[in-house]
Amino acid sequence: MSQWVSLFKKEMLEMARNFKWIWVPITFILLGVMDPLTTFYMPQILDAAGGLPEGTVIEIPTPAPVDVLMMSLSQFSTIGVLLIILTSMGAVAGERKSGVAELILVKPVSYGSFITTKWAAMLCLLWVSFLAGYLASWYYISVLFEQIPIVEVFISFAIYGIWLSFVLSVTIFFSSLFKSPGAAGAASLAFVIILSLVSGTLAHIFEWSPAQLMGYAEGVLRTGTLQDHSVSSIVFSVACCIVILMGSTYVFKKKELAS
Amino acid sequence: MEILETVNWALILPILIIQLVLFVVALIDLVKIEKTNGPKWLWAIIILFVNIIGPILYFVIGRRNH
Repeated sequence: MSQWVSLFKKEMLEMARNFKWIWVPITFILLGVMDPLTTFYMPQILDAAGGLPEGTVIEIPTPAPVDVLMMSLSQFSTIGVLLIILTSMGAVAGERKSGVAELILVKPVSYGSFITTKWAAMLCLLWVSFLAGYLASWYYISVLFEQIPIVEVFISFAIYGIWLSFVLSVTIFFSSLFKSPGAAGAASLAFVIILSLVSGTLAHIFEWSPAQLMGYAEGVLRTGTLQDHSVSSIVFSVACCIVILMGSTYVFKKKELAS
Repeated sequence: MEILETVNWALILPILIIQLVLFVVALIDLVKIEKTNGPKWLWAIIILFVNIIGPILYFVIGRRNH
């Protein structure tokens, strides 16, 4: 256990040295704040941009606060997911490529803790960044539009955070499967996109799919209650994360022993 | 510029500040780092002139981890 903790500390230290603890939260905050601001100031922006004929009247209905929060959430689900994949795709693959993995694994470190410490450290960064971005979005919406009940915001935050954690686990898996970080990133992205597309189009069959979590997060915000199948989807996603982590440890071990 | 008066600076200022932090951190890192992915001067230009996205791109792509 103490070995796990020291490996975990090493990962945290490395992320601090990479400035990940600064730029990832900042990027999430900017992502979260962008939509409330541009939506609120859209009339002024159109005015300033010009190009409209004199006397044009543009009536833009003020969107509901939940709609604006959903805009921010969809930013997280596109650019945010991309960011998660890009920052974690090299976690294992990069270290194997550069030989750091061998350096660590000559010490009596288990393969499992090597993978799980990386995952746990990235998970901390992810949840902190997502929380910062989501709260920033919520704050700006409550100032510019109307306040959304904080309890529902937190429930939706937790639900959506699980989907992001799932994306992270998938990326770690491909990162231990492939030699190059680029291939790991591409494979994770393809997997996430296909999963979202399939479970989006066949929503009635894949109610428990992790990709549905965004819909359930939206449901909580709109209705204030958990929707059907939310819990099964959450449980399934968490189970998936655990299985994927075990899978990555297995794959990583095999690859390491082979090389 | 009447637009500037209608803008709520209490909301815009925090963004400008964190954007500045991002910018400064990216520049400090660029100066300290040994090698980047691609020419260093190009990244300097990107960080300096591409607002917000420049520093983020540098951290995601330009930084060679090892």
